[in-house]
Amino acid sequence: MWRKFMVFGMVLVFAVSFLLAAPVTIRFWHAMNGPLGEMVQKLVKEFNQTHPNIVVKADYAGSYSETLSKTIAAVKGGNPPDIVQIYDIGTQMMIDSGVIVPIQKFINEDKSFDVNTLIPQVRGYYTVGGKLYSMPFNSSNPVIYYNKTLFEKAGLNPDNPPTTWKQFEEVARKLTVKKNGKTIQYGFTSGLIGWFFEQYMAVQNALMFNNGNGRIKRATKAVFDSPAGLRIFNFWNNMIQEGIMINGGPGWDNANAIFASQKAAMLLDSTSDVGMMLAEAKQGHWELGVMALPHPANVPYGGVIIGGASLWMINTHNTMKEKAAWEFLKWLEQAKQQVQWSEGTGYFPINKNAITKMMYEGFYAKYPQYLTTVFQLLMSKVDYATRGGVTGVFPKIRATIEQALSKVFDHAMTPAQALKWAQDQADQAMAQYNSLYQ
Amino acid sequence: MHPAFTLVHQEVINLSKKLIPYLLLVPTFLIIGLFIYYPAVMTFQKSFYRVSPFGNRVFFVGLKNFESLFESPSYQQEAVTTLIFVVVSIFVGLVISLLFSLLLNEKVPGIGIFRTIIFSPYAVSPAIAGMLWSFLLNPVVGYVSYAFLRIFGVQTHWLTSYPAALMAIIVATIWQNLGFNIIFFLSGLQGIPESYYEAARIDGAGAVKRFFNITVPLLSPITFYLAIMDVTFTMFSSFGIIDIMTQGGPGNTTTTFIYRLYRDGFIYFNSGMASAESIVLILIMGIVTFIYFKFVQKAVHYR
Repeated sequence: MWRKFMVFGMVLVFAVSFLLAAPVTIRFWHAMNGPLGEMVQKLVKEFNQTHPNIVVKADYAGSYSETLSKTIAAVKGGNPPDIVQIYDIGTQMMIDSGVIVPIQKFINEDKSFDVNTLIPQVRGYYTVGGKLYSMPFNSSNPVIYYNKTLFEKAGLNPDNPPTTWKQFEEVARKLTVKKNGKTIQYGFTSGLIGWFFEQYMAVQNALMFNNGNGRIKRATKAVFDSPAGLRIFNFWNNMIQEGIMINGGPGWDNANAIFASQKAAMLLDSTSDVGMMLAEAKQGHWELGVMALPHPANVPYGGVIIGGASLWMINTHNTMKEKAAWEFLKWLEQAKQQVQWSEGTGYFPINKNAITKMMYEGFYAKYPQYLTTVFQLLMSKVDYATRGGVTGVFPKIRATIEQALSKVFDHAMTPAQALKWAQDQADQAMAQYNSLYQ
Repeated sequence: MHPAFTLVHQEVINLSKKLIPYLLLVPTFLIIGLFIYYPAVMTFQKSFYRVSPFGNRVFFVGLKNFESLFESPSYQQEAVTTLIFVVVSIFVGLVISLLFSLLLNEKVPGIGIFRTIIFSPYAVSPAIAGMLWSFLLNPVVGYVSYAFLRIFGVQTHWLTSYPAALMAIIVATIWQNLGFNIIFFLSGLQGIPESYYEAARIDGAGAVKRFFNITVPLLSPITFYLAIMDVTFTMFSSFGIIDIMTQGGPGNTTTTFIYRLYRDGFIYFNSGMASAESIVLILIMGIVTFIYFKFVQKAVHYR
């Protein structure tokens, strides 16, 4: 009898100690595929090796939309991941979800983390109502890639790209080449992407929505049907009608292909493609230049907004898991990891110290194209306009603006009509969404 | 043995004979119930609500979702797009399939290889079909674009301009469905006795007359079946082709009902509206099927 109890007791002690010593498992869902995903796995592996009491399991969950979709389903199913990567425009949706833990909570409690290491522009994007909700991770910027070789061929100085809209149009004009009445090379191309419109609004220091772009209070009205907005619509439409810009259509891939094949000399794109563009240029034997977004000369310059995504912590009501997840988020933000991430992907580091490190190590001297990506952001103001808009129906608003541009390029509406139509649609969508949070 | 026992035994056997069919159906009904009926009922319920992305806020709005759907100009545009897409894909698809079937019905050596080649598009998923055609129609590297440039000297932006994008998805859909249609047409053609054609030839009927007076009527049951199956394909499965090739663009011009449903549900996370659209689709399919079986069936020639 005694012996039975002893054996049972020993087994119990063994089992309990095994459980207590077992590492905490954190599930991390991300939307980084291909080489980006490999980089994520590399970082995760390194973290797991250096933190023996935590195991992070990273899974690719599809595109940004799909990842959010899966997260919603997982939350409803009662088995959500601990950390999830959500795109920038999902910020208000995540805040409204009621299932996240704002990072601010851990920042307030953990004195070892210095939130001031974050680049102010990046921190500003994910701060709403004074709280930092998510940990920035992959942040990008819009840039204009240009073909230095084609610049030289056209008699333009490849090291002196345009900085104002007027200069940009002149350069595009010079870079448009016609043969037998057909255009064989366009000065400029761009995909029909709503994000670019938002960027040019920020460049002019103009707001997308009211209530401080939705950052002071919930945004209730769109305000992008403004002189700034109209200027953007006209800027692009005039170039298309003049034939110096070719419409890349919806999405990124078509415009990228047009530029990579040298059918256009300039391309509006994201910093996250800098690696790909360098490879294309090498393969095609032309030289890649990167320029900051030009601005209208008579409008005070604001800056650019970051894009990309951030990491959100889901409230699993498990303190141990949340602590472990916070350790992972902190570690990712550290300069060493940010240097690795940035050098391997083309996203710029979100940590000031990482940028300094890369500067001193000569990375930016070796790859000046990467420097432009950081430079433009650091030169930007940090105000409501450049921090970007926040609303729960942002995906729809972005698509609406893309449709409006399409209508303008197809002569179905004038720029003014299309802009007004887009704003009305946006107002309707916002009113419907906000009615849920009365 | 006791006679009463034998009686009860017989009763039990009779009862189980009656029950077994129902028991065998239980697994199927469980799956159908769980994966089809239950979600359908939930969708019906959800269509009367406005729902937040995470489902944490719901607001009863009655028929408001349906109202705003029918009042919205974009939904009306999508109705026209869906109609054009479905009608053209099916009509042109069936005509081309029938012509191919006539050709593939010839007894020439190697005909089996041709049949396999023609059937293979159906074996790939709509998403793959979309990818293949996206590549072919790419303005920079696509073979079709290059051919057009060389033959017609025109640089068409297939996937980024209207109406080229709509034509592109119709072509991809017809291409994908060829195999399915041809298989059925072939079997139908092979079921027509050669004696009918011989009799017609003796009576002096030409090839065209033979085709329209013998082949078409005798194929009508197959055509009837294929048309309604193709409606199902173009209304629902074509989503894959549209998502890969054009994402409903440019503007809204290649958005059909099913694509809008996907977008409202999984990109805008407006599940109340998507549910309402789902119900509308169910109603449309119900009405189309009803009209089809009631009126079009009369034109079918059954032997």
